[in-house]
Amino acid sequence: MTIKNTSISRRGVAKGAAVLAVATALGGGVAFAQDGPIKLGALVPLTGAGGPYGPIMAKTMQAVVDEVNEAGGVKGRKLELIVEDTQTNPEAAVRAARKLIEVDGVISISGTWASSVTTAVAPLAWQSGTFLTTTSGADSITQLPHEGYLIRTQPNTTLQGRKFGEFAIEEGAKSVYMVSPQTPFVDSQFENITKAVEAAGGTTELLVYDDKKPSYRSEVDTVMRADPDAIILGGYTPDTTVMLKDLYRAGYDGLKIGFGYSVNEKLLESVPADVVEGAMTISPSPNADSKAYARVGELSGMANPDPYTAQVYDQINLIILSLAASDAEPSGTMLKDTVRTVSQGDGETVDNAIDGIKLLSEGQAVNYDGASGPVDFDEKGDITDSRFRYDQVQDGKIVLLKIF
Amino acid sequence: MANYLTFIATIGGIYALLALSLNLAWGTVGLVNLGLVGFFAVGAYASAIVTAIGVPVVGGIVVAMLAGVVAGVIVTFATLRLRDDYLAIVTLGFAEVVRIVALNERWLTNGADGISGIVTPLRQTLGGRGFDLFYLGLVTLIVVIVWFALRRLDLSPYGRALKSVREDQELAAFAGKDVMRLKFEAFALSAAIAGLAGALYAHFQSYVSPDHFQPLITIYVFLAVTAGGVGRPIGAVFGAYAVVAFMEATRFLADLPFLEPVQVAAMREILIGLSLALILLLKPTGLLPEKTPKATVQP
Repeated sequence: MTIKNTSISRRGVAKGAAVLAVATALGGGVAFAQDGPIKLGALVPLTGAGGPYGPIMAKTMQAVVDEVNEAGGVKGRKLELIVEDTQTNPEAAVRAARKLIEVDGVISISGTWASSVTTAVAPLAWQSGTFLTTTSGADSITQLPHEGYLIRTQPNTTLQGRKFGEFAIEEGAKSVYMVSPQTPFVDSQFENITKAVEAAGGTTELLVYDDKKPSYRSEVDTVMRADPDAIILGGYTPDTTVMLKDLYRAGYDGLKIGFGYSVNEKLLESVPADVVEGAMTISPSPNADSKAYARVGELSGMANPDPYTAQVYDQINLIILSLAASDAEPSGTMLKDTVRTVSQGDGETVDNAIDGIKLLSEGQAVNYDGASGPVDFDEKGDITDSRFRYDQVQDGKIVLLKIF
Repeated sequence: MANYLTFIATIGGIYALLALSLNLAWGTVGLVNLGLVGFFAVGAYASAIVTAIGVPVVGGIVVAMLAGVVAGVIVTFATLRLRDDYLAIVTLGFAEVVRIVALNERWLTNGADGISGIVTPLRQTLGGRGFDLFYLGLVTLIVVIVWFALRRLDLSPYGRALKSVREDQELAAFAGKDVMRLKFEAFALSAAIAGLAGALYAHFQSYVSPDHFQPLITIYVFLAVTAGGVGRPIGAVFGAYAVVAFMEATRFLADLPFLEPVQVAAMREILIGLSLALILLLKPTGLLPEKTPKATVQP
């Protein structure tokens, strides 16, 4: 009897100890000091369809944060960047965002890439008062009821579509064929391409394909029957790679125009040079001559950083500058109220956070012009700038044609 | 932290419903359903669409389950003659069909944009925190009810008939069981549970899009059922919570200083694959294996 009792109480003690240990572990996780580091979140596609971009985006943001910390942080407080993976999947991204907001207590989340991911994460951001900066292009995103907690550095698709159409006409194309996977922006893009092409007396056609097919021979056959002067490639790197190979096999020798983010250095590395030779690309212009863009090149280790990397560089710089510009306790609300005072206006032009912090501490106003452009925002959170760059693949290299 | 745990437990509950659904089709009646995420999607979209035109959430959930049943019956019809690998491939195809229809039929599903602003029941009244707790209670209650019902079903003569189909359908037919009907009923019920999970997910997250329903979810649920124990409802439930807890716990690997974020992301996927391989090697019947009742001694 005695032995039995002892054994039960021993077990009880063990259980109690285990519960305590767990509680301490959890408690330790949420311990939050007011003067500890300011926590910023990065939510990027490290795996999945966005996998080619996310790792470099995260690396670049981390490099900026490290630099600012070495220079003394913001108002004596260090910054901490916490990186999570969206898996390019809105379900997984929501779990990751919840962890960032509720466990880490970040005041901002930067770098959401896929439009579906941004749409899924945005309600969490405005409900919890977390500031969300994104590179997604779908027109619908800035129309969400986000109360100002969202800005994006990617131009919306209406504008991009028009630029593609105008460029095809300039290059002498009369019949333009757009091939694109089903994306949130394919319709508005095609509509705007058509407007521009028809204004010049040309014709357009659209073919929507499935982005996970291993071959597009039947799609290419359909396109070749129409014998277009120009083909606009609306996809991302993986499907555009396959599409370009099949177009090459079919002997297409007309004009090929793609997005700068899909016909990129990664694509060039993965196909024989002939396949992409002569292809043109259009992208929202990073400020290619700017110091900021060169800096992104150094930090990311790429000769021609993709627009997303340039954009997240700007996003993290803007967040840091906003922190330095306001006297309020750091929070998402403070960021949304402050960001436009450092992104635009009559202040001294700066292209990195460290210079900006110095000026702000001297009481001067700043206007950040970054690697992806002047990054000025309207009240909905869209950028107001509209410069684009045009490149061509020549002898296996991406060569800049013009920026305007 | 408490908010986050509430959220994870809710997601765990939704995975548990999916695992119960898969366990019924695969574990009990032996139909390998690689298209689980397709039924999940059907339920989520069905409820999102009908609640958008004014049907109350409860009605939406019922419609989601009915939509699951209809989809389940269609798939069973299409696969009447198929078993094992062949059935698996066709169901995998079904899930892709659902995803691609959702992607392209913009009038119904709003295409790649997805449906946002889905009704979240009582959120206005309860507030964010209250809603999370309420929803955790709701999902957990439903998991318990479905688990209990399936357990009863397992132990009933009907459950034995289903398992006889799994073991040897010729023999079951020979013993006078209507094999086709049993398959239809089990698969339809399984699809209804997946549809229910879909509806609960849609009204929790208030947003669904084709991107949500990638085959990855089916794989996670297979992992859950395999780890928990194929053929035993409590095993499936346990496995689902364990998989979600494991996926979330591996996030905290990021605290290890020598790993870069991209390495952590890759490491998480490696660990999930590795753990499945280890379970299959060391405990192939799962952590809570199916109990085979002893044959009754004839008097």
